[in-house]
Formats: sequence, C-alpha cells, structure tokens
Amino acid sequence: MRLLPCGPRAVLAEFHTLDEVMSAATAWRAASLPGVIDVVPAALTVLVQHDGTLDTSSLTEPIAADGPTPGPVVVVPVRYDGADLHAVADACGMSVADVIDIHSGAIYICAFCGFIEGFPYLVGLDPRLVLPRRATPRTRVPRGSVAIASTFTGVYPAETPGGWHLLGSTDMPMWDDRRDPPATLPPGTQVRFEPR
Amino acid sequence: MIQVQSWGISGSVQDAGRLGRAWLGAGRGGAVDRVSLALANRLVGNTEQSAGFESSGGLAFSVTTATMVAVSGGVAHLTVDNGPPLGWGVPVVLPAGATLRVGRLLQGARLYVAVRGGIVGRGDAMHTGADPNTPAAEQAAARHEPQQTLRIWPGPRLDWFVDGAFHTLTATEFRVTDTSRVGTRLHGAPLERARLGELPSEGMVEGAVQVPPDGNPIVMLAGHPATGGYPVIAVVDPGDLHHMAQAPVGAALRFRAAR
Repeated sequence: MRLLPCGPRAVLAEFHTLDEVMSAATAWRAASLPGVIDVVPAALTVLVQHDGTLDTSSLTEPIAADGPTPGPVVVVPVRYDGADLHAVADACGMSVADVIDIHSGAIYICAFCGFIEGFPYLVGLDPRLVLPRRATPRTRVPRGSVAIASTFTGVYPAETPGGWHLLGSTDMPMWDDRRDPPATLPPGTQVRFEPR
Repeated sequence: MIQVQSWGISGSVQDAGRLGRAWLGAGRGGAVDRVSLALANRLVGNTEQSAGFESSGGLAFSVTTATMVAVSGGVAHLTVDNGPPLGWGVPVVLPAGATLRVGRLLQGARLYVAVRGGIVGRGDAMHTGADPNTPAAEQAAARHEPQQTLRIWPGPRLDWFVDGAFHTLTATEFRVTDTSRVGTRLHGAPLERARLGELPSEGMVEGAVQVPPDGNPIVMLAGHPATGGYPVIAVVDPGDLHHMAQAPVGAALRFRAAR
C-alpha cells in the first residue's frame, strides 16, 4: 500500500489488487476513524476524505487473509431479455440458457460504486462470461439494465450512455434519495440475480 | 410561492451539498461557491446551508407573497418589476406580485439569490420554507475583490508528470477557457506527462486539478463526478475554492504552493 497526498482533507491509498482495496475500504469504514467523512473505494485505490484532523498513520493495511467481510445478500429479480443476450451467448460459445444459468448462479460482491450515482461494480463474474466492452457504446442504455463488461457485472441506476453488454433488466430501483444509504447495492453488499 | 419565468444561464436551486456519499458514486453537489450562498443566506436570516438560486445570468422569478431576498456572489444588473430596487448584498422584501430579473453577469461567474425561509420543491413553481425566526442583516455586506492567486497542494499523481511540472503550475499564468458546475478548464503552459497510459478511475476531491491528455488542467468544482480517470497533479486549497468558482471565462489565475 502506498499513501498518496490529496490536499489537506484527503489521502489516496493505492493498492496492487482489487481484493486489497475491498479489504481496506471495508475495514476503514467499519473502524469509524475520527475525522473521516468518506471512504471511497475504486479499482486500485481507496480515497479517504476527512475534516483535516485525520492521523493518516491510523490507515493501516488490513491483513490480506482476513478478506473483505461480506454484507447481506440482496436478491435482484431480472428479466433476461437484454439486447445483447444472444450476442453474448455467441461470443462466449454457449447457449442463452447457459448465460442465464451462469450469470444467475453466482453470488457477487459490490467492490465499488462509480460512473453515475448508485452504479455498482460487482465482482465474482464467471470467467466464461468475461468480454471486453462493446466496441461502440450505446448512446442510451435503459434504466434498470443488468449488464456485464470485463470482470464486472452491474445495474444501470438511470438512463445513460454506456458500453456494457445488456443481459436483462430489473424494476428494482438502484437509488432512492429518501433512504440511508440511498444506493441499493453499496460497496460490500452481496448480490444474487434471480431470473423472472 | 416562487414562480420561475426564466432559468437563464445555468440557473438552478442549490444548497450546500452533501459529503459522505462518494462511496456510493455521488459527488458533493450543491452550490459551486458555498461562501457566497452562505453570505446570501445570512443576509436574509437563513441558516447558511439553505437552498437558494444559483445563476450565471438571465434568471427571472416572481413571488406571490411578500418575500425577502438577497443577492451575493457575482455582480449583474438586477431589476425588479412592481417592487423596490435591489442591490448586491442587501436584504430587500419583494412585495406580492414583484418579479426579480437578473441580467448579464458583469463580474464573477455565478451569483446567488437567497430567499428567506429557503427554497423548497422542484420545477418552475416552488415554495419558501418556514420563516427562520431570526433577524435579517441590518447592514449591507462588503464585497471582496476577487483573488487571483490560489493555494495548491501536490496531488496524488504528481509523479505522472515531468520533473518541474508543479513548478510550471506555480510559476506561470493560466486563463479560464470554460466553467461549469463540474469544473473550470484552464489554458496555460502545458503540463507534460512523464507517464503515458491509462489510469484506472479513482476517487476525486473537489478542487482536484485533473490533467487530460491535451495538458490543459481542469479544476473540479462541486458538481464533479465522484471518480475520475485523468491524473490529478494538484489540489486547490479548500479555503480558496470559492475564488476558483467565481473565475469567469477569460480570467487570469495563478497558483502558489500552499506551504
């Protein structure tokens, strides 16, 4: 782990793997360190925002063997009717039924949120479904789209441009301002997709 | 009731935003110049965080009941139909039926209109919140000269730039070429990368000085996304960010090391 400066009210911790990121982000959030305002995981970093009083020596590297403590399992109902379902099956050399079985047969963990508010980057995708992003992103991906790209799967909380492969859709809202936290699948949440 | 006739340029209703939701993918949001929003709110007796109008000119709204308002931040021609004149930094009660029109900005990049009780609701017809039961200001606010030299701290990806890049930032003048709620784009001596390639997206702070491949920095403001993929060479001191927020297109800016 390397701690990089980020002004008087933040520090950026850089790691080698996403597993280390998830362990550190989970541990530091759970620790409720004095002065900390937010702990923001991303692909290889954790940004710790604070009020200017944080003692950065308290940001110790978690023991790798501990692993991230998984949160509750949220079941997301999915209609597997995505525009890319057949193309994904072809690209992965399997049937549509196989794609649905494999995608809905795994338990995922939200590693981090980003792109737009409430968009979860879920890890745990079966290696047989790993594909690069679409060569040409769509200008409009419908809200609730369940999609895959690279080693991630996720759900679009709102209509937006996007380059992931669309497997299906859900009516479950991903963001609700009246809730605390407003995101349905915050980092650390375990997720299972259930075909409907 | 507040009835908006024209939102004008970048007109919106903003409060002080909210920290602590970047881990869910949501940036702070809220007023780009929180110092000016807070001042306008104090003038009408509100708490500093109350929601008010943010505008880069052209905002027009009317009130259906007598409503106290105050303007701070940028300077623009202000006209009131069916009511008394309104100046910068003075609380004035608009009578029922009055319309406030904000003209073109003459100084600064965005102005704030606070409404006693704060603005509640969405859309073109909104309400004022409960009266704060605190006195409005009895004296006009003083306007400070815009500050053109801002303090910066080294950023997390300074090592992605050639030796001396931080010195280039602090020794040369930059000009504002664009400003939005997301950030202010600058042009000056190009900041040359030592390391090419892509940076995986990482959490960003307000004030982060991001450098896209063209070498012209962008300073992130309150509406910035929670994460970004361009290397951050420096971070503007939080105490100077409101000056950045008020730098209009064409303004000259300099940076100096915070310590």
